[in-house]
Amino acid sequence: MSGKAGYHGKILNIDLSTGRSEAVAIPREDLDLFVGGQGLGMKILWDRLKKPGVDPLSPDNLLIFMPGPFSGFPVPSSSRTCVVTKSPITAPLKSDYPHASTVTYSNMGGFFGPEIRFAGYDGVVVTGKAKVLSYIVIDDGKVEIREATKFKGMRTDPFDKAILAELGDRRFKTVYIGPAGEHLVPYSSIIHTAGRAAGRGGAGCVMGSKNLKAIAVRGSGQPGVADHAGFLAALEKARAALYGTAYAKSWAEQGTARAIVGNSNAGTEAVRNYREGTFLEADKIGGDAARRDVWVKDIACYCCPLACKKSGVTRGKYGGVVHDGPEYETGVMLGSNLMISDMPGLLKAITTLDDLGLDQISTGNVIGFLMEAYEKGMIDRKFLDGIDLRWGSVDATLAMIEKIAARDGVGRLAAKGVAALSREIGQGSEKFAIQVKGLELAAHNIQANQPRGLSYVTASRGACHMSGDDIPMQNRRAMLDSTGMCFFPTFEPALEEPMLALLSAITGREYDKAEFEKIGERIFNLEKMFNYREGFRREDDRLPDRFFEDAFTVGPKKGAVLDRTRFEAMLTRYYKDRGWDPETTKPGAAKLKELGLDLL
Amino acid sequence: MDTKESVPGERMNNFTRRDFLKGVGMGGGALVLFGEFGVHSAAWALSGEPVLKMVLVDYANCTGCRTCETACSSRNRPASVGAKQLPGLGNPRYANIRVHGFNPDVDVPIVCAMCADAPCVRACPVEPERKSGRRALYRDRATRTIRNDVDRCLGCRSCAAACASKRTGTLAPNPETGKPERICTLCGGDPHCVKRCPFGALSYVEVRRGRKFYGLGPDKIAAQLAAGWYGTADFGGVR
Repeated sequence: MSGKAGYHGKILNIDLSTGRSEAVAIPREDLDLFVGGQGLGMKILWDRLKKPGVDPLSPDNLLIFMPGPFSGFPVPSSSRTCVVTKSPITAPLKSDYPHASTVTYSNMGGFFGPEIRFAGYDGVVVTGKAKVLSYIVIDDGKVEIREATKFKGMRTDPFDKAILAELGDRRFKTVYIGPAGEHLVPYSSIIHTAGRAAGRGGAGCVMGSKNLKAIAVRGSGQPGVADHAGFLAALEKARAALYGTAYAKSWAEQGTARAIVGNSNAGTEAVRNYREGTFLEADKIGGDAARRDVWVKDIACYCCPLACKKSGVTRGKYGGVVHDGPEYETGVMLGSNLMISDMPGLLKAITTLDDLGLDQISTGNVIGFLMEAYEKGMIDRKFLDGIDLRWGSVDATLAMIEKIAARDGVGRLAAKGVAALSREIGQGSEKFAIQVKGLELAAHNIQANQPRGLSYVTASRGACHMSGDDIPMQNRRAMLDSTGMCFFPTFEPALEEPMLALLSAITGREYDKAEFEKIGERIFNLEKMFNYREGFRREDDRLPDRFFEDAFTVGPKKGAVLDRTRFEAMLTRYYKDRGWDPETTKPGAAKLKELGLDLL
Repeated sequence: MDTKESVPGERMNNFTRRDFLKGVGMGGGALVLFGEFGVHSAAWALSGEPVLKMVLVDYANCTGCRTCETACSSRNRPASVGAKQLPGLGNPRYANIRVHGFNPDVDVPIVCAMCADAPCVRACPVEPERKSGRRALYRDRATRTIRNDVDRCLGCRSCAAACASKRTGTLAPNPETGKPERICTLCGGDPHCVKRCPFGALSYVEVRRGRKFYGLGPDKIAAQLAAGWYGTADFGGVR
């Protein structure tokens, strides 16, 4: 439609309220300026949510599934799908709009994004709300909305099997929500292949609000490329940069789980609700232990030579199939952060969270907060519906997880996240309610890691550990997450040149390092414009007091704590370097003009 | 499925055509071997034709990344670019190898087993050509791979049905024409799936019918692997 190489040039719009769907052309300029994935998703959200304060759970919100220009080509590790929507969990301290919230984007691996491109689209946008629980089937050019009421309440592992049995072909790639998403828990995830998740920021909640249980996609096509021979040559180089390297092998060996022990030793791990940075029992839940006792398979996403996903099996009281884990985030948020060192128990919690469709990070953070409030006597057992929520208790953790997913009893409040919980509990608990803008922090602790603190407070979706610790990193990541390629292989410096060459050959547009970062900067600034319009200001870019007051008491970084003056000075410098007003964080006119955002 | 039934003994795992001929030469053993391998395998072994080769999967090392599909498609579905034929962009739709993924995680690449007795060829109802003796589906003398004469093919799907009921089920009728697709070409003796697998899970070897999992379909292989790895073979009834 756009006639642009590397793209189909069209987005599939599906309105669940009317049941209508249509493929619409993407303006060519948007492909040049915003590329795909997180960037193009943001542009679509900006264009179509014309006014601030739209209720994220209303039919007006958009749920956007975005592959990128790499998706559907055999470019190494280009498996990602970016889910973009208006967040149901974030909120500014003050705003003119009752439903003000940030943009959110959640990025997952697997096979879904490439399949969207095989089906003939550069993205899928879902709006409206179905009358009854439904699912969407996209089979090349054919789009169908089917009733899903018989799947109501079904957990994601059995649903993963049931939906494929109904469709009758394993080649369908599916995404779906669990009971938590159906119950509108704000930090619900969207699950893919039973063990991969678009977890952060509540995309699963938005999906639930649309009465959408699942989307299934199958396709047979592929976009063309601008420079066929150049593509093939760059593909060879990209493969050579990764195949058989020690770097790739280290990912296959332990995936992100290697950092469970590594970050504990470095004093940068979330431990005991972020009170500490070192977990003395980390080795019991780390990669070596998992390799020895749990993992049976290394699993890769589409065309990925890293294979960081680990599946396995545990035995005993908590025994069963493990689709993935422990990874760093899941292992730490449900392990170290809750002082849980029982590997099968930890994996039971991880597996249950995916099964219910809850974000592992936010849930682990919420339970850590409740454990601390319980220990401090701010809440009692009655508040917790009788659950004895002590540090390290697997059974209490599992009980709380079920309560949250069902929004039952204490789960009604816990489902709202730590910001809401601390407001309800009071007694100074805000200090250890570990969130920014309403989104819970991830498994990287920061008393001894100030740059990661910058990532948490300035990220567009609330406390995000992936956003980047400085401006160039943030810009590169925003761009990378717009291409369809995964972040993990890009630590390998030899990949950069062929990656840029591939992008150029596919799209016919020259990308060098500077242009790559410039587009990322444009995307990051548009996200900021969206958030600013909603009412987010500098006072929303703030960390909980714990990080400035509670120095670590154990480990190699014992005594570490952030200095508020230094942190605020770093932030002021950051806004100035960004070309934003350091008082309000409003993007400056000069910067917007430079990025071509001044006319939006 | 009971493991013992489908997996012949150790002796069979390393069985080659040469062993077969030796067995036949020794007289008494031949009867046993005929019983296990069928008369068509015997005919092949005794025919003096070159050895058959195939792509073999090491399931423990397969991560399910599907790079093999893209490499196969790229090699076997070239693209016309200007006046040149170049390798394609690797659309998995046109791959002759196909990775079947299961829950729990088991990935089973399925590719032509290069069956000596070729049930697909035997199922082809097209009258053999007088000169070459070929039906529409035939084994190519030079490459030893199965080929389809598209002009004579009726699109009756008999070959795919035979492959599905007797062997791996890799052969698939084209949804529109019914003519068989996904026939491995061995890429002229240098299979690109083998070359491109990032995990060394594929190898190019001589066909040995006694090898574990030889000629089985994805569901049967996955069930055995999942039972061993995860202690369950419940895939929820998906075909």
